[in-house]
Amino acid sequence: MLIELLDFLGSLHPLIVHLPIGIVLLTIAIDVFMRNKNNSVQRVITMGWFFSFFSGLLAAIFGWFLGDNGYYLESQINIHKWSGIAFVSICFILWLLRYTNFRFSKSFNRSVNLTSIILLMITGHFGGEMTHGQNYLFENLPYTKKKISVTTLSESKRSNNDSLFVYEDLIHPVMEEKCIACHNQNLASGGLNMSSIESMIKGGNSGAGIKNGNPFESLIYKRVSFPHDHPKFMPPTGVPLSYDQIATLEWWIDNGAKKQMPVTLTRNDPKTLRFMELQYGLDLREKTYLETLTLSSPSQEELKSIEGEEYIWRFLNPEQSFLDLKFTKKKIEINDLLKVQSIKNNITWLNLSDCMLNDNHLSYISNFPNLTRLKIQKNPLVTNKGIEALQKLEHLTELNLYGTRVSNNTLITLGQMKSLKKLFVWNTRITDKDIADFKALHPDVEVIAGF
Amino acid sequence: MHCNDHHHENKNYSRRDFLTKTSLGLGALSLGSLISPVNSYGQSNFLNLIESEKMKLPHFIPKAKRVIYLFQSGAPSQLDLFDYKPKLNQMFGKEVPKSILGEQRLTGMSSGQNSFPMAGTLFNFNQHGESGAWMSDLMPYTAKIVDELCFIKSMYTNAINHDPAITMIQTGSELPGRPSIGSWLSYGLGTDNKNLPEFVVLVTKGKNGQPIYSRLWGNGFLPSQHQGVQFRSGKDAVLYLENPPGVTSGIREEQLKSLKKLQSIQHADIGDPEILTKISNYEMAYRMQTSIPEVMDVSDEPQYIFDLYGEDSKNPGTFAANCLLARKLAEKDVKFIQLYHRGWDQHGNLPRDIKKQAKETDQATAGLIQDLKQRGLLEDTLVIWGGEFGRTNYSQGMLKPDNYGRDHHPRCFTIFMAGAGVKKGITIGATDDFGYNITERPVHIHDFQATLMHLLGIDHEKLTFKFQGRRYRLTDVHGNVVNEVLA
Repeated sequence: MLIELLDFLGSLHPLIVHLPIGIVLLTIAIDVFMRNKNNSVQRVITMGWFFSFFSGLLAAIFGWFLGDNGYYLESQINIHKWSGIAFVSICFILWLLRYTNFRFSKSFNRSVNLTSIILLMITGHFGGEMTHGQNYLFENLPYTKKKISVTTLSESKRSNNDSLFVYEDLIHPVMEEKCIACHNQNLASGGLNMSSIESMIKGGNSGAGIKNGNPFESLIYKRVSFPHDHPKFMPPTGVPLSYDQIATLEWWIDNGAKKQMPVTLTRNDPKTLRFMELQYGLDLREKTYLETLTLSSPSQEELKSIEGEEYIWRFLNPEQSFLDLKFTKKKIEINDLLKVQSIKNNITWLNLSDCMLNDNHLSYISNFPNLTRLKIQKNPLVTNKGIEALQKLEHLTELNLYGTRVSNNTLITLGQMKSLKKLFVWNTRITDKDIADFKALHPDVEVIAGF
Repeated sequence: MHCNDHHHENKNYSRRDFLTKTSLGLGALSLGSLISPVNSYGQSNFLNLIESEKMKLPHFIPKAKRVIYLFQSGAPSQLDLFDYKPKLNQMFGKEVPKSILGEQRLTGMSSGQNSFPMAGTLFNFNQHGESGAWMSDLMPYTAKIVDELCFIKSMYTNAINHDPAITMIQTGSELPGRPSIGSWLSYGLGTDNKNLPEFVVLVTKGKNGQPIYSRLWGNGFLPSQHQGVQFRSGKDAVLYLENPPGVTSGIREEQLKSLKKLQSIQHADIGDPEILTKISNYEMAYRMQTSIPEVMDVSDEPQYIFDLYGEDSKNPGTFAANCLLARKLAEKDVKFIQLYHRGWDQHGNLPRDIKKQAKETDQATAGLIQDLKQRGLLEDTLVIWGGEFGRTNYSQGMLKPDNYGRDHHPRCFTIFMAGAGVKKGITIGATDDFGYNITERPVHIHDFQATLMHLLGIDHEKLTFKFQGRRYRLTDVHGNVVNEVLA
């Protein structure tokens, strides 16, 4: 009963605090701006300090009750509490001095006024931080970077998501911010230490913290996902865990709660995949070689080699480093291929179709390190021998060979190329049986040989 | 050659730019031009500024390099081709429930009807392929390749009549005057083949129905070299391309060289960017004198290719022949190839007429996709099949057991896509049991356009052109990429 009454009075604190604020500001205003201070004005100022003191005292007592009910951490309250008490004390002393007609200098008066306003601001600010959250003061200023989530990842981590781990990068930072202040090796409230996976699994006085594969049986998960007014809801103060933080925890426990679980594992679950994208800005889809490659753009000088009529080209990316190059004439010469050697790093798509390309020519493109798509269809002079040179193209994913004279040996050669995903062999000497054999060996390569 | 060269035109002044951009310092400018008339135009930093704001194209690695848009003008009935609604057959002849019909507008052609009897389809539907896509018997060839296709059954548009609807899907606005999709792509991505236009239009000959007019492939406010070029069937694919009798190729070349000199002097003098456009048009026409006969010549095609596209494919100007030409143009890296096939506007006698339409387009469409696939072209070519809106689930006019018509229906229709960057063998979106309203994943015309541009490596919000004081784009201020479509 008494506790509830105290709680009620505590909840009046945010209301009452505004009284001393108003009164003390008005009192100081009168003190500063009224030039001609006759007796009645002096009495008003004296009364002003009294009411500031009295309402401040009330607010402080109620504040004490509020602080005592356990919603706030001692560290959060500290500055607010002591600056508040200092403020009330100053009000009391000033009232006493004035009441007893103690004479003091103008400069003393000014500095006391200033001190009380500063104390008021400090108290008010830290009180505001408790109710509105940290950073409340500046978060809505224009041009400030909004803090979206405590688990927001840095740009460098996001772009390199192969080396992100669910526990280390997504879960532990949350625990650090919300839990470990109370649940650490030294303090271990409730016997629980959350600073490591082992100690989280071990749990505290109420039992194991995590049951692998079963979030709904795991106490830590249960406590953070209780309704907020539940007595066992965690964390007891501050901002609760957000939906994405809880969902990540759930996924992690569901999948075994291991330390070495890369974030990329969530790829297998479309829901989590989408959620990782929305909440953390993580694009976890498997990247093609080009998406992971950074290259410098070719120089103007180097581009001159393809200025003529023989080639037509375009850049494939805004960084202007990947080239899509096509030969336009009916007959290609070795010289044409020598010309483009200076930009061989940049050539990613190459079209040399229908230009009397022969096996010899192919050796001039076998050293293009970043070639991913090669079209050499409709070149009847190309045979198995030429294709052997292409084996060195270790990032080639797509090869168009239709209308060449390649046969089964080419399939054997190409079977050794790990990067190859698509192969076009319509109108070649490769038979249906060859393709069937190849597909049996390399099921992840799509072979298109006509309908 | 740099493919984005055409952007440099922006650095020059058009008449409008001249009047608007120089109003502050016209006097100073005229003084400058007294000293050196050339400098007063082309070297404006002001327009360079606009240019530098534009991100370099493409905005990301493209999936598609070109588009073949098989436009079915008149609006094919989704209910008789793709969108299977057994409920309509069960309730054949009953009134469309009020709750389904709602309060929205109908066209003047059927809004006066006393009754809106539901017309189930007269054609059999079956599921096809591994994907189990529903198709009616009307398109047996396309049904065989459904595993290559991506159906969107929840397309919708704003317009209820053909002209605004087709203008909308082609230009992003119901009002005429904006650039067509192909013009935007030509403007944004430039050419991949200097001997052919970036944007080619083929219209099926001898078809009746809703009119098709050149502004649908017009460049709007973009420089005029980005307009679509219509290739006709028959001897002269492009009119007035041949040299007049007695003029040899050599004479023509000399003539054009001299003309270019004169035009260059003119351009140096007044700097109008349209002069450069004219020069490039003349040069293109000259190159097309050899490139067009070559690309239009199908005599090299083996018989089995004609068989693939169907018997019509040997008859120039038919849809099938145009499909075959589209493949040849795609092989030559023409960026945007638009076919138009008219005659789908079946307000009455739908069961009879749609059979004919389907027969004309089915085999060639399937043949084209197969042909592209075996040549490896489907990897970087996007094929689209669809009309400007859908058709109603109720019969316009008398409903008979064996005959009905369908009115315009902008609230849902079906299109399909195939090829570059598009998921295979899936269906996106759904309509209600009556095939009247969308129940799942609505896709607006602008969303479709945004997706199309995305596949070509363009962020539809970033490809803009400043005209009449503001920046325009294909999707105007709308459009979201339909991510579900992307492979």
